[in-house]
Amino acid sequence: MIRTTLGLIALFAMIAAACVAFGAYFSYVTLQNAHRSAIEARFSITAERIATTAQFAASLGIALPAQTTLSELVAREARLDPAVDSIDVLDDRGTVLFSSASARVGAPAGPLPHAVGRRIENDLAAAIGRVVVRYDPASMDAGARALADDLRTIAIPTLIGAALATIAIGILLAADLKRAARRAAEPEKWPPAARTALAAAQSVHASVTRGGAPDPAATTETARS
Amino acid sequence: MIGLRAGISLAIAVILCAALAVIGWAAGRAAERTIVPAISAKAESVGRSAAALVENAVQAGIPLDQLVGVRDYFDDLRAANAELAQIRMLTTFGAVLTQSGAASLPPDTPIVYSSVAARSGAPLATIAIAIDTSVISAQVSAVLVDVAFIGIVSLLVALELVALVVGTSGVEALAALEARIRALASGRLSQHASEDAAKLPLIAPIDARVEQVNAVHRQVRATAEESGDAHALAALAEVETRTGLGSVHPGENHAATIVRPALFLFMVAEELTRPFLPRLVQGLVPPKLPFSLDFAMSLPIVVFMAGVALCQLPFAVASERLGRRSSFMLGALIAALGYCASGLTGDYWLFLGTRLLSAIGYALVFVSAQGHVIDHSRPSERTAGLAVFVKAIMVAGLCGPPIGGVIADRLGGQAAFLVSSGLAVIALVVAFFSLPRSAPRRSGAGVGLSELAAALKAPRLTALLFGCALPAKFLLVAVCFYLVPVELQREGYSAAAIGRLQMIYPILMVVAVPVFAALAERMNARSGFVIAGGLIAGGGALLLTLGTSPALIALVLALLGIGQSMSIAPQSALVADSARHVPGGSSAGVLGLFRLIERSGNAAGPAAAGLLLAAIGFAAATASIGIMVVAGALAFALSGRHASATPTEAVNRPEVSPEGTPL
Repeated sequence: MIRTTLGLIALFAMIAAACVAFGAYFSYVTLQNAHRSAIEARFSITAERIATTAQFAASLGIALPAQTTLSELVAREARLDPAVDSIDVLDDRGTVLFSSASARVGAPAGPLPHAVGRRIENDLAAAIGRVVVRYDPASMDAGARALADDLRTIAIPTLIGAALATIAIGILLAADLKRAARRAAEPEKWPPAARTALAAAQSVHASVTRGGAPDPAATTETARS
Repeated sequence: MIGLRAGISLAIAVILCAALAVIGWAAGRAAERTIVPAISAKAESVGRSAAALVENAVQAGIPLDQLVGVRDYFDDLRAANAELAQIRMLTTFGAVLTQSGAASLPPDTPIVYSSVAARSGAPLATIAIAIDTSVISAQVSAVLVDVAFIGIVSLLVALELVALVVGTSGVEALAALEARIRALASGRLSQHASEDAAKLPLIAPIDARVEQVNAVHRQVRATAEESGDAHALAALAEVETRTGLGSVHPGENHAATIVRPALFLFMVAEELTRPFLPRLVQGLVPPKLPFSLDFAMSLPIVVFMAGVALCQLPFAVASERLGRRSSFMLGALIAALGYCASGLTGDYWLFLGTRLLSAIGYALVFVSAQGHVIDHSRPSERTAGLAVFVKAIMVAGLCGPPIGGVIADRLGGQAAFLVSSGLAVIALVVAFFSLPRSAPRRSGAGVGLSELAAALKAPRLTALLFGCALPAKFLLVAVCFYLVPVELQREGYSAAAIGRLQMIYPILMVVAVPVFAALAERMNARSGFVIAGGLIAGGGALLLTLGTSPALIALVLALLGIGQSMSIAPQSALVADSARHVPGGSSAGVLGLFRLIERSGNAAGPAAAGLLLAAIGFAAATASIGIMVVAGALAFALSGRHASATPTEAVNRPEVSPEGTPL
């Protein structure tokens, strides 16, 4: 049983450590998502502004491919923020119409990692194109690294502390259980309630053995004492 | 006396709370260092963009002081970005040309400056953007609330793992020792049933002492019986009642504890899919369908829910026929195949089929686990056992979605389905090792419509099913999962904020269900708890007529959680007791019928709530549903005269109930 108890304590310590690690990792993921949202919100403003301009021109009857001033607009917006890699305006089939990186004009947009986009709609709310702002993932990666470092610095000692505290409390409880088991093997060391019950039983047994009718009031009194 | 298992569970809870609080503090510090600068950088970007626009206008020949629409532009920027407290355009001498936002600012308000320059590079003006730090603090606080929720999830996962370990047969000896010490501490001198544990070095001396006392008692009783001494026999009987002498303690009933780990793992497998399923389905929807994209995205969920609801009744009987362990394992296997196929297929229609397959497995596992708890619990333990069953499902509902969301984010939705499949297989293995072998019960095959009709004539069962069970699920789905989110979204609250409010319900359920279940049993008042729960939950919904502030909605959801945690386990136990009225005494059909009716409330809730919302508005819709729930609870109350329709039979059922023997 001692081996079972020690195994149990070790297992509980591992569970405590694993759950602290789990909590720390998921906290990291939550913070990382919040950080990404904060960074992407910045680029969303740029995308929104260009989309609004294109929609305004479209509402005046200028088709998206004919909005040639967008070329200069996307180039200027891309220059404003060093974290912006490029800004593309796509048509409804995903082909690049205007881009701050002129080499991409006419090509399909392709996969869009590290990018935020906004729909360009006509007056009937139908999509006629899309603005895509690609950003440099370096700022995101630096933030993720900083978050990981901050959390790791705290999480590892906390994890070890939780495991050690579980082991310490487990050993204390096991020792207490062992003491209680030893006391339970000796009626004179039984807990008060058990000693009272034993006294009540012995009183009734003695009365019955003596042949006299036991007095229930006296029995109850013995039990109470 | 607190045992080693309970003590260490409590200790782990306290230690993890402290450890996770430290992690939360570290998260707060990390957020200050990384997220706050990222939010501030947005203000700089806005400033640079505004400055560029002004430069363009100036370069086009418009003097700075004759620019029009600048104030409106600044107002629009502030409206779109809540953290921008004030935007001003200043001359190079500091005079204000245009201003939007607060007239005065606290002295320590951070301000971001962007310079407006002429083509020559000469400075013309400055755009000054003041950042509202309280908005940033609120944004960081929202992130930290999410982190705190992660802490709760971690704690719940830890406690489930602890329960898994505590429930294994490897710690039976420890449980036997604790049971003996606890019995002595409460003044009980009864003997204990477990024979294997009795040989262990720490247990044998205790049993020997207790046996000595019991042997003397037996001898004295035999003497009194021989002499026919009625007074002595009465005194001995009185001492037996008080001390437990002459009786055998049946040992702990582990029915719910044993099934809990396997059930929890299986339920987590399904709950993992919740956050990413709509997005995954969106990618599978073929371009030309005879119905809308929204409907196509909801169809896999509808197929799953309908599959689970429709399988409840037939599977309740099938599970009884096959045996609970075999049917649990079969269900887990079917669901695992379903999840695996869902993860591998790229075809929308095939995906619908795989979801139906998972629903079949889910329903079989659900009815088998529920049947196991009912079969192996004495009537007096049924509510507590069902509370453990409900808690395992609720905890899985809390833990699964955030974990599934992260897996889908990192590995993709298809991979997350494969993880679900793996978890279902682990649940199968855990069920194989933990659930007792149970012989198939051929007698369970005879539950048909006529028997169910007979069961419905049982005292108060119809009132319970249609007055309490169905309205309870209807209220939950309609108010908590549909009306409240739709109303809050309409008022402009973010999805994350709505999600945080919705967490109030499951957290309260997890905490309060076992407490109320134990109280209902102790007070022998299952019906009372069902009625009170309905009145509290339904009455809470009526509060939404007063307004829709987040505090009021939190209160309504808290009342919903408290009300339903009062009623959910006693309600299932009352239904299980009603099975006595089915010819043959089978519980399967009645429980199947109960779950079918209950889940009809689940299915009808969103559709009916949508119709009510469109027809009479939010306040009237919630009030109508609340009144329906209150009326149902009152109808159930009026349907019987006694405190409990099916009083527990604890006093009359003293027989030993070893695990593995259906009671």
